[in-house]
Amino acid sequence: MIANFFKNIFGKKNESKNVAKQRLKFALIYDHLEVTEDILEALHKDMVEVISKYFEIDQEAFKLDIRRSDELSALVVNTPILSAKRKRKQAQPDPT
Amino acid sequence: MDGKIIVVTSGKGGVGKTTATASIGAALALEGKKVAVVDMDIGLRNLDVVMGLENRIVFNIVDAVKGRCKLKQAAIKDRRIDNLFLIPASQSDNKNVLDPEEMVRFSSMLRRHFDYVFMDCPAGIERGFENSVAAADEALVICTPEVAAVRDADRVIGLLYARSITPKLVVNRIVPALVERGDMLSHVDMVDVLSVELIGLVEMDDQVVVSTNTGVPLVMQKTSKAGAAFRRIAMRLNGQVDLPIQVPEASGGLFKKFRSKFGLKK
Repeated sequence: MIANFFKNIFGKKNESKNVAKQRLKFALIYDHLEVTEDILEALHKDMVEVISKYFEIDQEAFKLDIRRSDELSALVVNTPILSAKRKRKQAQPDPT
Repeated sequence: MDGKIIVVTSGKGGVGKTTATASIGAALALEGKKVAVVDMDIGLRNLDVVMGLENRIVFNIVDAVKGRCKLKQAAIKDRRIDNLFLIPASQSDNKNVLDPEEMVRFSSMLRRHFDYVFMDCPAGIERGFENSVAAADEALVICTPEVAAVRDADRVIGLLYARSITPKLVVNRIVPALVERGDMLSHVDMVDVLSVELIGLVEMDDQVVVSTNTGVPLVMQKTSKAGAAFRRIAMRLNGQVDLPIQVPEASGGLFKKFRSKFGLKK
């Protein structure tokens, strides 16, 4: 009874719903990070395209991964650069 | 008539979709609206038994969609509640006999005949789900305060958003005493985790079992707390958006709460 008294007054640590909520939050974060092959492929294609605007890259060796650890998930891109592309001059609008 | 199609879904099975569909549909019919409830669980129909209309099935949704009968023939009229109709599922087909395109076409016909059409979606997110949401204007996600149900609800909510449908959450089978003790997720926790709009809170109610046993609509049982909660959800759907959401409370009142605060009661 006394233990209960203190538990109710001071802390809600032992409430099982808090455990449930915490577990759910993590599970949903994980679920939301799951990416389908299609999306990964599309992203792969787009990134190669964008990077190719600025660098000459080895498209075959381009790698795209999602790495997960307990704390965080990261998108890891790895590509060898063959050379930098010379920046094209922007066409100046004609002053009229 | 330009009726609304509302899909009732959950992802997980056994959380009360069928009871919710039957109850909210009946409640809207009692409000004077012309309502159809459609059993989309093809091959495993049960909305008919829950509504007590199992002996009156002649044609089903597959017949109606495929044009083997008229809509009027497939829609069974409830004899106790005016304006309430059931379109039963077929028991012998499988879910792939229908496709979303057919459902969109069929739904435009339903819209002309009814004010509200409720699609009782099967569990899962496969073809039965696709068919149920194909023509939906709105969605009710039914979820119980359990981790498995919440996780599945989250998945379904994501799929609904991808179709530009903004779902509303019904928390079903709340046990107020457990919530107060901290051993059940509260609706606040669930809304927080799912970030979705709430439309109703339904507490655990023995009357639901009685209602399904007898096939008498829950909303016709005056003493049922769950029935009253479903009636309020129906009124909110029907435009009374300001109707406050009542949070189920454990019986026992103030004194019991006081005692529990001071640890005199488990």
